[in-house]
Amino acid sequence: MFHRLLHLPIVLTGLLGFTASAAAAELSNPLEVAAKVDASLLAELSTSAANPMQRIGDEEFLRRAYLDIIGHIPSPEEVTAFVLDPAKDKRAKTVEKLLADERFGENWGRYYRDVIMYRKTEDRAEIVSGQLEDYLKTQFNTSASWAKIATDIVTATGDGTENGACALIIAQQGQPEEVVSEVSRIFLGVQIQCAQCHDHPTDRWKREQFHELAAFFPRTASQLILTPDRREIKVVSQDFFLNRQPPMGNMRRRGTAEHYMSDLKNPTDKGKLMEPVFFATGDKLPLGTKDADRRGTLAKWITEQDNPYFAKAFVNRLWSELNGEGFYEPVDDIGPDRDCTAPKTVEYLAQEFGKTNYDIKWLFRAITATSLYNAPSAPRRNPDQTPMQTNVAQRLRGDQLFDNLLNALGVSEPQPPGGAGAMGALYGRRFSPRGNFNTVFGYDPSERRDEVAGSIPQALVFMNGANVNAGIRANGRTALAKTMSEIKDDQSLVGEIYLRVLAREPSSNEMKTSLAYIKKVGNRNEAFEDLQWSLINSTEFLHRK
Amino acid sequence: MSLHLQSDISISRRGQFRRRDFLRLVTAGAAAGGLVSWQDVMAESAPLLRKQGMACILLWMQGGPSQFDTFSPKPGHANGGETKAIATAAKGVEISENLPRTAKVMDKVALIRSMNSKEGAHPRASFLMHTGYLPTATVKYPTLGSIVAHEIGDHEFDLPSFVRIGQRGPGQSDTAGLLGVNFDPFAMQAQDVGRMPQNTTLTTTDPRYLRRLGLLKDLEGDYAASGGKAEVADHAKVYAKAASMVRSPKMSGFDLSKEPQKMQDLYGNTPFGKSCLLARRLVETGVTFVEVALGNWDTHQDNGERTKDLCGQLDQPYAALLTDLAERGMLDKTLVIWTGEFGRTPRINPRAGRDHYPRAFNMTLAGGGVKGGQVIGKTDSGGDSVTDRPVGISDLFQTICHSLKIDAQKENMSSIGRPIKIVDGGEVVKEVFA
Repeated sequence: MFHRLLHLPIVLTGLLGFTASAAAAELSNPLEVAAKVDASLLAELSTSAANPMQRIGDEEFLRRAYLDIIGHIPSPEEVTAFVLDPAKDKRAKTVEKLLADERFGENWGRYYRDVIMYRKTEDRAEIVSGQLEDYLKTQFNTSASWAKIATDIVTATGDGTENGACALIIAQQGQPEEVVSEVSRIFLGVQIQCAQCHDHPTDRWKREQFHELAAFFPRTASQLILTPDRREIKVVSQDFFLNRQPPMGNMRRRGTAEHYMSDLKNPTDKGKLMEPVFFATGDKLPLGTKDADRRGTLAKWITEQDNPYFAKAFVNRLWSELNGEGFYEPVDDIGPDRDCTAPKTVEYLAQEFGKTNYDIKWLFRAITATSLYNAPSAPRRNPDQTPMQTNVAQRLRGDQLFDNLLNALGVSEPQPPGGAGAMGALYGRRFSPRGNFNTVFGYDPSERRDEVAGSIPQALVFMNGANVNAGIRANGRTALAKTMSEIKDDQSLVGEIYLRVLAREPSSNEMKTSLAYIKKVGNRNEAFEDLQWSLINSTEFLHRK
Repeated sequence: MSLHLQSDISISRRGQFRRRDFLRLVTAGAAAGGLVSWQDVMAESAPLLRKQGMACILLWMQGGPSQFDTFSPKPGHANGGETKAIATAAKGVEISENLPRTAKVMDKVALIRSMNSKEGAHPRASFLMHTGYLPTATVKYPTLGSIVAHEIGDHEFDLPSFVRIGQRGPGQSDTAGLLGVNFDPFAMQAQDVGRMPQNTTLTTTDPRYLRRLGLLKDLEGDYAASGGKAEVADHAKVYAKAASMVRSPKMSGFDLSKEPQKMQDLYGNTPFGKSCLLARRLVETGVTFVEVALGNWDTHQDNGERTKDLCGQLDQPYAALLTDLAERGMLDKTLVIWTGEFGRTPRINPRAGRDHYPRAFNMTLAGGGVKGGQVIGKTDSGGDSVTDRPVGISDLFQTICHSLKIDAQKENMSSIGRPIKIVDGGEVVKEVFA
């Protein structure tokens, strides 16, 4: 059965190619692809067909899709409208609506900002973090392909405060070894840097192959000049070299003509001259190639269809984010010697994604239509249990949680205090209320999600934070005060607060507990403050279920 | 059953447990039944008491202090600038005239004048000096305070084991890294010193606070029942720990007003003075590692004047800290480290400043079994290079581990399963100890 299914889409796209004239129509229908993914998963994971995947209710789907796609929970009005909508295709329509929302690019721009910036080895790269976020936001919102984004980032030059695509190179100080480690990890899902110092014992990559990859970047450097009268942080590209004294220590302000692999036994030696060779396909460039050609060609090879890693790395990451479990884990380690839970399924989805020319929104449509995306969430499975039988709850990222908190408290985003000095302006976003919140709540999205733990400082912010406690007051100009004056019936008010904080109605149990608590406290204001406090401090508030 | 399981886990060679290892060991039933949670294992796998009562205070001189104008004056040489040398309580050891009070406690201090590294950029050098490793994109090396908290902290202690006073800079990347958020620094802003740290004061009466926690617990049931049991259990543990922290009587460790006026005067009424007093108070309360930053040592211009001013901020609190710890009988078990990320250039630049210089610089160690009153290592007459007993960063980390009775060879796991030694290479500088 499985083989037949795998061949179907190819036939299908072939047919469409004959009939459709518009290029867009040649894309495989994401809903059909989703159905085939479902069948393929079922075949590969050989679970009992008598036990079909359950489907979550509308409220749960809506909160999940909103958080995943735009990073916010739906408003009480949106929840009600969605639940009451009789349309059969309302889930797909909602996904479409969310992909067209500005906040889609904002959410995923912030996500990939974190993917890049959490691995920075140059702390001052924080200066360009905001620009990176803006760049990515624009790309995602204008439906730029994943290939375009990868190309922009690999070939970036110029001022990082103007071109956000420079951020990856700046974050690694333009050091060729670090830059290619990140390019390989993020765009190919291959942790080739393990071979930086020695041939890897459990991997096929040789030390030479790592340094051949680094040989695409010797002429690139990151220049960071921060003095009172001069501020530059830029990626420079250089093709003419004079004999200069090497800079002191490991500072690297300008490139070198070629890359040398150091001799580990003799570290003062110049090392071995390396040709630029792309390990994934074996394509190579001659020594002496100009910087723009090196990086431009590398970007082309990385994004070409015959590179087996590019599409798969993105599919694996997005699948993992949306379903809570990757085909490969961690998300950025999909090399050929790694275990994969469903190799044929990921291969198929990656091929389809490749055919769309790496259309990011298309992949969202396809994955959100799978049964797994619509399945209830369960705790992380034990290693001996069958993979991918349920969706898995995930802790929200700092930005999502910050927006959730603003929503719950009914306040708009506080801005950083004005009149900051020059350094304040440079690091403005870092020290904004959102930036400070992210310092406490953010995490590296490439880490295994089940190992992202809550911390005491986080609990303290929610338990005792002045802003949280001012925001939940039942008097003054808070959202709670307004709602309390509008809704006099306690039961309706409990429902309203649940909707606003958790985007769902309370269960009958929860309603009973809440009403009993209100009665016991005997002070309506205090009781509702406590209820709102408890929901904001709940496990559910912190998670995308 | 669960006890057996936990002892299984705590003898694992790696010394650090990942959730998946945990799940591999726990039967599905036990995990699903919520008998043991991840936080339980984290707590159980940790030593129960601060090991042998050792503690550490790191005085971090951000920006890289000039060795010529602090502990290694060269008054006879053009490179020395205008700074003169003065005699100290350690026979034959002279330090800069900028540190007169420190001079009187040099009998407690081992001064290393032969520190050297290759890193001349602030972020990389700061990271190296805090972790013993250069930053990489794939392995997040833990910072010293996190290592120490992880190895010898009392994990059942009400307060955090690692407190960092004064933020060093934006995007500062040395954290607990691969050791996990439980060992991250508890960060305090310098302006909060003397007050309770942010978010640790109850915003309601205590009974109402407990009432709220009770409601929270009652409302978690449905989420737990619908597949969130493990998350709810972990969440409850973190909240219990946070609540017991803010309600703990030990929180008075943060309250400097509890110190007699005489003691406050000894340290001085300055931000750094108060921070050092707080560090001593916290260590006395049971905190394992306190890092205090004093910034602005990056004197590319007007080095002489500015370093003199900075030494003025440093001198009294540093001397007071060593004196106070000794008088309380705490110095033997408290290692006090004074260092920046590198030193400054021997030649004074046209703006009367000194630039970055990692090739030869100085740092000090005191307490924690360190033999005071001695100098280790030498530089040539102009301070350009180390001529005797070079000490590298790994050597320094080995020495710190030795003082704190930490096994420097122990391996922790990186997120891609690569074992990382606490210290890679280097040797203990044996002369440091008696």
